[in-house]
Amino acid sequence: MENASKSPLANEPLLRIEGVSKIYDGHIKAVDQVTLNVASGEIFALLGGSGCGKSTLLRMLAGFETPSQGRIYLGGTDITELPAYQRPINMMFQSYALFPHLSVSDNIAFGLRRDGMAKEAIAERVEAMLKLVQLSQYAKRKPHQLSGGQQQRVALARSIAKQPKLLLLDEPLGALDKKLRVSTQIELVNIIEEVGVTCVLVTHDQEEAMTMATRMAVMSAGSFLQVGSPKAIYQQPNSRQVADFIGSVNIFDGPVKENHTNYVLVQCADALLRVPHSQPCQDGMGVGVAIRPEKMALSRKKPSAKVNHVAGVVVEMAYFGAHTSYHVKLASGKVLQVQVQSHADEDNADLCWGDQVYASWADNAMVLLTQ
Amino acid sequence: MATLMQSLKRSTPAWLTGRRLVIGLPYAWFLILAFLPVLIVLKISLSEMQTTAVSGMVSWQGAWPSIKLDVSSYLFLASDELYLATYLSSISYAFYTTVLCLGLGYPFAYFMARAPKHWQALLLMLIMLPFWTSFLLRIYAWKTLLVNNGLINNALLAIGWIDSPIEMLNTPFSLMIGMVYSYLPFMILPLYANLSKLDGRYLEAAADLGCHPFKTFWLITVPLSKAGIVAGCMLVFIPAVGEYVIPELLGGPNTLMIGRVLWDEFFSNNDWPMAGAVTIVMLLLIMLPLAIYNKLQSEGRA
Repeated sequence: MENASKSPLANEPLLRIEGVSKIYDGHIKAVDQVTLNVASGEIFALLGGSGCGKSTLLRMLAGFETPSQGRIYLGGTDITELPAYQRPINMMFQSYALFPHLSVSDNIAFGLRRDGMAKEAIAERVEAMLKLVQLSQYAKRKPHQLSGGQQQRVALARSIAKQPKLLLLDEPLGALDKKLRVSTQIELVNIIEEVGVTCVLVTHDQEEAMTMATRMAVMSAGSFLQVGSPKAIYQQPNSRQVADFIGSVNIFDGPVKENHTNYVLVQCADALLRVPHSQPCQDGMGVGVAIRPEKMALSRKKPSAKVNHVAGVVVEMAYFGAHTSYHVKLASGKVLQVQVQSHADEDNADLCWGDQVYASWADNAMVLLTQ
Repeated sequence: MATLMQSLKRSTPAWLTGRRLVIGLPYAWFLILAFLPVLIVLKISLSEMQTTAVSGMVSWQGAWPSIKLDVSSYLFLASDELYLATYLSSISYAFYTTVLCLGLGYPFAYFMARAPKHWQALLLMLIMLPFWTSFLLRIYAWKTLLVNNGLINNALLAIGWIDSPIEMLNTPFSLMIGMVYSYLPFMILPLYANLSKLDGRYLEAAADLGCHPFKTFWLITVPLSKAGIVAGCMLVFIPAVGEYVIPELLGGPNTLMIGRVLWDEFFSNNDWPMAGAVTIVMLLLIMLPLAIYNKLQSEGRA
């Protein structure tokens, strides 16, 4: 069946997950029929709330859990039944799991020693790793003598020391405080790209997933809601759940009033919306229309168009420097979130609590959600 | 409320704060019930024996107290090889007991710690169960099991594996059985407490880095349970060195142990200073290595 002129592996993704499920106690589906390909060099994020099955999926890749159904292939080889200690996959654990009785360099050397590498080669590799994560002067310390950020870097060095085919990151920044997290994110991605290792990371933090990943999957109840690039998922969420989970969003509900070839009219409580077509739908069908807060504009003047604007009262505002965030209460009682760039509009520079305003947006700012 | 607390604070004397009381109680306990008796034993060991009691150490010559220290017991202890042999034999019995308890207790504690939660409580109770019967009764029970016409020999004779009873009672074998049997729980409990807290992620991390489970046990589990091993070994070794009842009931005449020598000095020879000296030397033999070990440990950590 393979094309004879091509190697059978030419089109094989590095990681292929085929219909994998994990069922506990006979009926609890932690992971439900997941299928996914990850190409070499990708940083793939599994994003979801707690209990969505993302960690279970990662643990099946590492070999700590065996799938109840389905197969996992790495570089074309079936590794579903392979025990963890034989997989060319390494994992950076949530809260690191650094061996407390071993020094930093012994922690990094641990995996190399198991491979029976020569002593000098191990020392050389450990040194290179320490240099990569800028911890050369801490080689002799024990993990408990390091700060959280340093421990995180040791954990990273340990997990890439063996040059795994696939690197798994379990909430890689979860144990760090917020300020450190942002700088570490970039550093982590830089190191991963420098080493050139393919990554699957698990996170509940959508910002973390979006900044680090080249592609991501939003998970809920054991299955994927949407798979795509961070940008595609942010701009074109395919469901209410995804739109809600990724960033903040305003969702208008209402029935489809008119279904045209390239747009639909949706009658919501506060406005008539003219949404460019993206999903098949029928007249009268209940749909949601999602609009990101930063795609809205505020004005005291009533916009001239008949559609795509609402009237309301400013009930809350917060200045963030680069932007100002407003909460606008509509006639129906719904509260809109609107973000306005600080330099954007002189017109609303003096907006205040209690002011009557109009929020408006462009046609392409809206996404039609049919599920 | 605040004023009440303040007035309470003012009315109690400065030294009687709750903090001092909490710290002070165990110290007082230790001083009165452990340190003071040792001092008394030390005093006895340096006195001379009269017919029914030891001589007073301090005598008054006019206004001047004169302190008389009699070190003859210590000199005799050093000169008679029997004492040295007994110490060595006690320590080696205690050592083998500790090693056997560790060998049997570690796997037991390990699987107990990894058993499902509802099983752990049951297993823990099984470990404690023997304590509900008197220690003395349990040792006597072993006597009836091991004796020539006891249960074990009779059973073996009945199956025809042996022609005449095996001499088990009153041998080093029966002594070791009794010692290991009695002290095993003291090894298992601290090991279990330690191993049940072992973070499973370390084992996963080792597996993830290519370590076979068997090797993980030696490279990760054992080093991380060092505190439990040390605690268990101390709890077994220290009382085992001075054990009296088990060698007396199961050990027979040829098993030399310092506990029996102590008994003989006190009750047969009526030589209290000698018994005191034997005790003090035994204490030093046990405490000194421990003190050195502790010192090395704390230096290693710093």
